[in-house]
Amino acid sequence: MASSKASRLGEETRMDKVNAELVVLTYGTIVAQLCKDFDSDYVEVNKQLDKMGYNIGLRLIEDYLAKSNTVRRCSNFRETAEMIAKVGFKIFLNITPTITNWTSDGKQFSLVFDENPFADFVELPDDGRAQDELWYSNILCGVLRGALEMVQMQVEAHFISDVLRGNDTTEMRISLIRYIDDELPPEDD
Amino acid sequence: MVVYSFYIFDRHTECIYSKSWLPPAHDPTGAPNSVTAARPSSSDDAKLIFGTVFSLRNMVRKLGGDDDAFVSYRTAQYKLHFYETASNLRLVMLTDTATLSMRNVLHQIYINLWVEYVVKNPLSPVEHKGGAGVRNELFELGLDQFIRGLM
Repeated sequence: MASSKASRLGEETRMDKVNAELVVLTYGTIVAQLCKDFDSDYVEVNKQLDKMGYNIGLRLIEDYLAKSNTVRRCSNFRETAEMIAKVGFKIFLNITPTITNWTSDGKQFSLVFDENPFADFVELPDDGRAQDELWYSNILCGVLRGALEMVQMQVEAHFISDVLRGNDTTEMRISLIRYIDDELPPEDD
Repeated sequence: MVVYSFYIFDRHTECIYSKSWLPPAHDPTGAPNSVTAARPSSSDDAKLIFGTVFSLRNMVRKLGGDDDAFVSYRTAQYKLHFYETASNLRLVMLTDTATLSMRNVLHQIYINLWVEYVVKNPLSPVEHKGGAGVRNELFELGLDQFIRGLM
């Protein structure tokens, strides 16, 4: 029931559209520039992409809350996963990744991307390292981390496979570390 | 309907924006504090207001469950309206006692003014320490127009 509600919310939310090629090229330029700036140190590029995503996520969550018109908090992490896949990804990237591979404690799941608008036309550099080290869409991990932190969930997100590397699927693993408590006002002296 | 003042508190419990639509001399919201001869400064007001809404919100949640939200309270002098987002931004508005629910108005301020003019301004900081980045022209103007349109 909750799942169909999330899909409906994702479908019904009206968003302005932007040309897909513009997104692909803009994102590609960023990754290419980072590879150049860090001398093809792909570990560092992954880190920078994550950081950029984090800063985007901190803001994007407010747009998500305003646009999706969600009235209440998700009651558990499973519901959060539904909302991320069916509302968040739907309204911002017009894709709905599949949620799978839950751990039994309900704190870790995978998002499998059947399509990835960032990765159209992309081929990783043929230097023998990029295929093993670069996570091309790593910005998405940062976005999720930043956005969820603002709604009081500390998570860890990373890619574990990518079709660009020759894997069968593109899969991101997301783990809930903890719920962040409300901050209390400082004591008066 | 008369709007007396408006406050925004961030998730770090800091007051990052406040605005009053009243000349300082005639401030009916001062009534609860006026037992002391000296009028507390507006930053004290903000602290008192935050302490109050924070406690009320926690009490309401304890009694009514986590999804319950406190919406407003009324005294003989004024009515306080409260709206909280999932990102723990709290909007507070003080109006006269006859005003109906302002929940919708606060929600509109959040989505049409806060998100559009403050959050989406790429050059404004993400954390508004000391109110940094909130008092930009578009937000101030939009808010003032919106509130005056209601009155």
